[in-house]
Amino acid sequence: MKKRIVALVICATMVIGFGLASAAAGDKVFINGMDANYPPVSFIDAKGQPDGLDIMAANWIAKEMGFTVKHQPTDWAAIIPSLKAKKIDFIASGMSVTPERKEQVNFTKSYHQTIMMLVAKKGTDWNTEKAMKEGTRWGVQRGTSEAHWIEDNLLKAGKKFTLQQYDSAPLAMEDILNGRIDVCSVSKTSADEFIEKGMPIQILGRYGQPDDETAYAVRKEDTELLNMLNEGLDRLMATPYWQELKDKYGVK
Amino acid sequence: MTPVLEIAHITKRFDGKTVLDDVSLTIDKGEIKVIIGPSGAGKSTFLQSINFLVKPDSGTIHLNGLPVNPKDKKALYGYRQQVGMIFQDFNLFDHLTARANVEIGLVRVRGMKKAEARKRAEAELDRVGLSEHMKKYPAELSGGQKQRVSIARALAMDPQVMLLDEPTSALDPELIGEVHAVISGLGKAGMTMIIATHQIGFARALASEIVFMERGRILEQGSPQKLLSPDCTTRAREFCSQILDANGEDR
Amino acid sequence: MFLNGFIAVKEGLPYIIQGALVNVVVVIGALLLGCSIGLPMAIGQVYGGRMLRRIIGVYVWFFRGIPLLVLLFLFYFGLFSFLGLNLSAFAVAVIVLGLISSAYQSQVIRGAILSIPDGQLKAARALGMSDARAVFFIILPQALRLSIPGWSNEYAIVLKDSAVTYALGVAEMMARANHVASRTYQHLHLYIAAGLIFMALTYIGTKALNIAHNRLKIPGYTQ
Repeated sequence: MKKRIVALVICATMVIGFGLASAAAGDKVFINGMDANYPPVSFIDAKGQPDGLDIMAANWIAKEMGFTVKHQPTDWAAIIPSLKAKKIDFIASGMSVTPERKEQVNFTKSYHQTIMMLVAKKGTDWNTEKAMKEGTRWGVQRGTSEAHWIEDNLLKAGKKFTLQQYDSAPLAMEDILNGRIDVCSVSKTSADEFIEKGMPIQILGRYGQPDDETAYAVRKEDTELLNMLNEGLDRLMATPYWQELKDKYGVK
Repeated sequence: MTPVLEIAHITKRFDGKTVLDDVSLTIDKGEIKVIIGPSGAGKSTFLQSINFLVKPDSGTIHLNGLPVNPKDKKALYGYRQQVGMIFQDFNLFDHLTARANVEIGLVRVRGMKKAEARKRAEAELDRVGLSEHMKKYPAELSGGQKQRVSIARALAMDPQVMLLDEPTSALDPELIGEVHAVISGLGKAGMTMIIATHQIGFARALASEIVFMERGRILEQGSPQKLLSPDCTTRAREFCSQILDANGEDR
Repeated sequence: MFLNGFIAVKEGLPYIIQGALVNVVVVIGALLLGCSIGLPMAIGQVYGGRMLRRIIGVYVWFFRGIPLLVLLFLFYFGLFSFLGLNLSAFAVAVIVLGLISSAYQSQVIRGAILSIPDGQLKAARALGMSDARAVFFIILPQALRLSIPGWSNEYAIVLKDSAVTYALGVAEMMARANHVASRTYQHLHLYIAAGLIFMALTYIGTKALNIAHNRLKIPGYTQ
């Protein structure tokens, strides 16, 4: 009995030690914090591997610039704290550049424009004007720039619709089909992807939010990494591979 | 001859109530002293204060002339090895077989090797007539068997004196005999014992001296013949006759 | 359309089951950590002095009183801010679940110890055993056996709680079900599948502990 207890304690220590060891990153490995629920930009493929436009781009840049990249699924609402706590080293996952975020992190040059759209169920008579009225139920992904924009510029400005926050864009869009919300704000890329998979939603159009610049984010003190990513992006966007990727993932 | 145990002026108070009031007792080698008295007299508490399971408020104890210091842990443990105790509720270790119950003191207290301890345990269990039950667990044994195991367990430690706290009070009447037989056997073999019991007939037969306790004090002490003879008109005699009548025993 | 759900589950199952393995490892690690801390605490609470008992009481109150999610974030981000300690999400999951479990386990074991008749300790002392030996050789073997049903309960609870660690990014079953769902948009089917796997794991674990309980039971013990 005593021997068994000792053995169990050793096992416990090993399990913890293993976990601790996995925290120590190697030298030229940079961890990309990704939203694993944001197809086609970043998601997990059928084989369980990270995939998506930004994932493939980051892989290419890593190879080109001579470092190893690991993709770490991270809760989007906690992604900037994770970056600052050094759990991840950069964010390549369709992140929009906003003034508030610029105070916390540094961004690379923009490689894409994210257009935010309002979507509703197909066959309904919603439009963006009607959606602003009181009683409409909006959905949005929690912790995103669009969530903040809607709060700051629509709700605080007196609009009376209700806003429901979701863990991911796909969940929000599915709830439209469930009938729990009427419209939701997602990027055009997300909406296109959803429609392409056969989901009966329609795009209503822009709702006032300016198009976002999309870029990679790094910690303020990591100037070397920032430069490396910028250089990589330049090179990538100069190759035909960039357009290939965009076509493959349906991003315009 | 130095007495085996000299117990002097033990006093114990619980919650302001005096449970033991200046109790003293001396016992020589080979003597058997039986303590009788009504419930609540303090018999159990007295026995448990002898091996310091209950800490006396004042008083001293000498084993073979040497004082026992309960504050010195090592000395206390050593002393307890010399003083065997049998409990009314047997208190066998439930998770161990009968044999293991007897072995554990040898292995974990006296540091004996397992093989040697096993041999000794089997011998002790044989002595109390329980060889064929040695692999049984306490819950599988009758009350009488349990008490005999507990006697074997205490004897294995080679104690100088045994304290028996109402050894048969929890037993069905038909099982009392087997335990009494074992205890008598011990007495005949010369074991020094202090026994608390309600079994007056047994006490009379076995005791070198009867000690009568009431309300935390020793009221009378004397040979069984003297204390229990029909001519005696003391409190002890009064008490005993009540019990003997109730048991239907001969005065 | 409905069929898509089953297809999604079938395709994603290997990926999700790997996540189930992560849950199991996290749970086992947490339970072991919980026991190795909970056992000494239980002993301290039963046999220790007033100061010790008070300290343990505060610990138990703290870890039983704060919601799991809050503790997870506190340890994951807070430890880094205050101590510069950068632990992986997996390590934090095991540690936090383990500390919470230790609080509950200490109470289970404490209850088991207290239910043992005090005659056991008396007899051990009467033989000349030191208190430490008496607790280790007489009390604990019985108390631990009595605690097994409590562990069964604890296993089921910690297994369910391990799903919450997805919030830290631990690649366990819930997180993985989510990943597949975001790609296939079949959240309902996948959550049901994950739920069924959790139920199976709960059943297997409690059944195993039940068998252990019966094997280790003290024959004839009616407590």
